[in-house]
Amino acid sequence: MVRVLIVEDERKLAQVLSTALQAEHYDVVVAATGEDGFYRASAERFDLVLLDLMLPGRSGLEILKTLRQRHVDTPVLILTARDGVEDRVLGLDRGADDYLVKPFALPELLARIRALLRRGRPSDVFRLKVADLEMDLVARRVARGDRALDLTGREFELLEYLLRHHGHLVSREMLARDVWKEPRRATPLDNVIDVQMARLRRKVDSDGAPRLIHTVRGVGFVVREGEP
Amino acid sequence: MRWWATASIRVRLTAWYTAVLALMLVVYAAVTFLAVRHEFHEQLEEEAHANAELAAATSPEARVEQQLDEILLVLALGLPVVVALAGAGGYLMARRALAPIDQLAAESRRITADRLHERLTVPNAHDEIGRLAAVVNETFGRLESSFDQLRRFTADASHELRTPLSVIRGIGELGLRETRTPAEYKEAMGSMLEEVDRLTRLVDTLLQLSRGDAGMLRLSRDVVDLADLAREVAASLNLLAEERRQRVDVAAAASVRVLADRSVLRDAVTNLVDNAIKYSPAGSTIRIHVDGGPERATLTVADEGAGIAPEHRDRIFDRFYRIDEARSREMGGAGLGLAIAKWAVEANGGQIALEPAGIGSVFRISLPRATAAGKSG
Repeated sequence: MVRVLIVEDERKLAQVLSTALQAEHYDVVVAATGEDGFYRASAERFDLVLLDLMLPGRSGLEILKTLRQRHVDTPVLILTARDGVEDRVLGLDRGADDYLVKPFALPELLARIRALLRRGRPSDVFRLKVADLEMDLVARRVARGDRALDLTGREFELLEYLLRHHGHLVSREMLARDVWKEPRRATPLDNVIDVQMARLRRKVDSDGAPRLIHTVRGVGFVVREGEP
Repeated sequence: MRWWATASIRVRLTAWYTAVLALMLVVYAAVTFLAVRHEFHEQLEEEAHANAELAAATSPEARVEQQLDEILLVLALGLPVVVALAGAGGYLMARRALAPIDQLAAESRRITADRLHERLTVPNAHDEIGRLAAVVNETFGRLESSFDQLRRFTADASHELRTPLSVIRGIGELGLRETRTPAEYKEAMGSMLEEVDRLTRLVDTLLQLSRGDAGMLRLSRDVVDLADLAREVAASLNLLAEERRQRVDVAAAASVRVLADRSVLRDAVTNLVDNAIKYSPAGSTIRIHVDGGPERATLTVADEGAGIAPEHRDRIFDRFYRIDEARSREMGGAGLGLAIAKWAVEANGGQIALEPAGIGSVFRISLPRATAAGKSG
């Protein structure tokens, strides 16, 4: 079982995070102070640490630095309320593997955790398949059952991203950053994403076939067989 | 600090005036005295020459010396009195002349932040004091309008922030009032999350603007090809235009380059084009035109919409300003798009303006061209 250490002093947030991670079948340990977090991270074995930067007592950056100096190289994902570029650079320089700015969307956090845990393992999947929807990434062919789908470049990338996160929620932020390659999310782009998604859905989920692309209100999208 | 620097203008003015007057009088008296003495002595010599044979009984020289002493005495006693009188008169005059300044100071002090609509009384618009009062009044005018702007901004911002908060609260309270089906709960939470999203974006935008105001955002200086930028924005928003059967046309002169922060400038153009798409009728065309003069490059975005009524033109770039509150809210805007665009263009040393147009509205961005010496990019 994958063990995750959450170092977060805000009780409610720690609770939400731990519930969300447990629902994804991770083994979760919560540390509410910097000292406790540091002690556990250096004494026990974890697969991943979620580290809040602003902690009472010992700051997240200090903990991170000391851990790295002691050659504890567990992947660390920083949670921070500061979104200045300097803060991010500082965090990554001190040895963090990724960062997420509060308030973040849970689907994005989960996706990043998966990405960190996957790291080092090859992800050379050239065929993606969900129910009767099949994607051949090399030949760039998509078919639903025996009906070939004609997708534009962007639609193809979008569907590939959704299928790679098959069964998991994908937020608009993730799509903006990873598919549209826009670092900043703005209202126009959100509208573009929605329109693009509507078109993709018309192509994929037509002809009375069971729906695969679902919208989860207020969160984003998910590809899944049956109801979300 | 020397003593005279701490004294009032009135005292300094009087002291200077008195000192100069005293000096002048002393010089004047001395010259007069010497001239008179010289004259007396000459006369004396002439008389002595003429009446050489008459041996004078009384010594005329002694008589002249006595007269000269009397003159000297009068001068020595009179001079300080005259200077003192003139000094006192000057002091009073200075008070009269400077009284309006004291009055100005007292009046200005009364005009506090909540009484900025008041103005100083201008006694005589043509003299120095009047001009000073006019300048101070203009400053108060500018202060008043920026205070007004700030007040409006705060009121608008709190309205924009509170609206999603009350929606979230309302949904939560309603949800807890009685037991509902899981589907209803999902719906309620989804709608809460939508509001949270709206809040998050609003806070992000406000932070960006206030960081810009505080000069905390460091912009990069890239050589940006405006034609490229225009085509890129058009391509990224084309999908939205297609949905409304609109076309986004780009007409651009070759290689019009400016020095700007690319992503910030792109935000500005994106906001303009997005607005144009939203507010023009289905089937119309949005035209982006890029042109380069010798020193400045321009990018205009023209639509075939209803245009902007004259009464809104002045405030269209204000933060949170919306022409049609209900309509733009429905479209998901907070009234910050043009404010962001304005900030983005001005931060890059350019100007943005709403051009007078026959139909629709035309926004013009003008930026200094990158010099030929600039890096190519």
